[in-house]
Amino acid sequence: MAAQLFFNGLVTGLLLALPALALTLVFGVLKFANFAVGSMMTLGAYAAWVANYHFKMPLVTSAVIAAVVVALTAAITNTLVFERLRDRGAIVLLVASMGVSLVIENICRFLFGNNAQGFDVLVSRPIRWMGVRINSEQIMTAAVVIVCLVVLDVVLRLTPLGRAMRAVADNAALAAVRGVERRVIATLTWMIVGGLLGLAGTLAGLDRAIDPLMGWNYQIPIFAAAILGGLGSPLGAVIGALVIGIAEEMSALIIPTNYRQAVSFTAILLLLLFRANGLLGAKAVRK
Amino acid sequence: MTAATLPALSVSGLRAGYGHGADIVRGIDFDLPPESIVAVIGPNGSGKSSFVKTLAGLLDVRAGSVSVTGQDVTHETPARRVAAGLAYVPQEANVFPSLSIRENLKLATEFLRGRAGVGAERQEHVLSLFPDLALRMRTRAGDLSGGQRQMLAFASALLANPEVLLLDEPSAGLSPKFVEQTMEAIARVRAAGVTVLLVEQNVAAALKIADEVAVLVAGHLTLRTEAKLVDHTALGELFFAKVA
Repeated sequence: MAAQLFFNGLVTGLLLALPALALTLVFGVLKFANFAVGSMMTLGAYAAWVANYHFKMPLVTSAVIAAVVVALTAAITNTLVFERLRDRGAIVLLVASMGVSLVIENICRFLFGNNAQGFDVLVSRPIRWMGVRINSEQIMTAAVVIVCLVVLDVVLRLTPLGRAMRAVADNAALAAVRGVERRVIATLTWMIVGGLLGLAGTLAGLDRAIDPLMGWNYQIPIFAAAILGGLGSPLGAVIGALVIGIAEEMSALIIPTNYRQAVSFTAILLLLLFRANGLLGAKAVRK
Repeated sequence: MTAATLPALSVSGLRAGYGHGADIVRGIDFDLPPESIVAVIGPNGSGKSSFVKTLAGLLDVRAGSVSVTGQDVTHETPARRVAAGLAYVPQEANVFPSLSIRENLKLATEFLRGRAGVGAERQEHVLSLFPDLALRMRTRAGDLSGGQRQMLAFASALLANPEVLLLDEPSAGLSPKFVEQTMEAIARVRAAGVTVLLVEQNVAAALKIADEVAVLVAGHLTLRTEAKLVDHTALGELFFAKVA
């Protein structure tokens, strides 16, 4: 039982890692907490569902389409909303992201209704490994997330775009006088963030029913993961996501499963009280 | 005017300030002769740093114009000004602390599309000016001392092969030994053909290497003279004079 819960928690943690990374990238590079992460995941799930269910595309193709749709939506939202409010400060941007979240959620509701939807995929028999039941959706989730994490790590550490993103996160004004166009980097950051959220939405749609509030169910664990890891630290976001995912699942051993989100709330509360910079935040935030 | 006689930097009627507040830079006219060092000095709060930030494009121009070797950059972004030949080293936070020395140096050129002379040869030349950096390329900039950071900041700016280098109080917070090294480095930079605008609180150090001195008081340029002709008593009076 405990091994099964641990494994489920690991997969949940990996699923949380993508949106937690998206949240931490926006916070690091653009300096505000994006409350629209959940709704962008929802949009990704619906985009993938339309491709998969209505156009009969394979799930992998649908996931790519979802990533592209959310990446473009994020870039357009940046141009129409966030870029215009950039000089008003982090609180205004945070509130604006709440507005963006409500708009996206209600567009989904208007277009697809309130009924729960699901992907058109074959149900396969789970495999058993050392007493742990592993289904194909969990394997796919783990594989996609691990590939994304490796690719993102390479982009951030080894490419000019990654260096520019880290430079803007360090000091946007200095990056500007080193020839980096902040606006271009902001747009590309939003596209990467959108891509991650589109994929995360698709994977979340494999895990649970797709409805307009789907993303909200992940919002608290995503924030808990990013804060636990230290907002602004990509590695911290991944570690935080794994810890929160495992803690939420393992909590079923001692509390009813309906209350498992209490784990994330408690984590946020304790972190804000005793270690606001999170696990790796001291290095990542304090310069 | 021929290219040879064009000022490296030309500023006309420049006014700038923060947000909706009053002007901090209040109508400055200023030319920088090619391959010279001009020190801009003045009391605290006189607008020196705001002036140089405006030139770098970090503060919006409210009136007037800025051109680099004849090219108008008044409404260009900071990044485009670098591509036009205007490099800037801020007073503080002048390196990216989470990036290594190598990454700081790489970043200084990889977004300068269209800027001539920023290749590998340039990097070799710049590293020859700051040999200490070449020995520790993998060190995080955040782990460097103040003087080493200053050298990295100079090197990063110089990699852009600038016509004009804007330096905002490079001696601030440095030990006397490092101040001397910094001033020597600036002199070497000028010798390599770069025009330098040096904003400095340490007047004595600035006067040692500058060709000319400009005094800024309350956002106005109140004196411009050759460095060797500076009358220290008159300078003191200017520093404490009340400007309307």
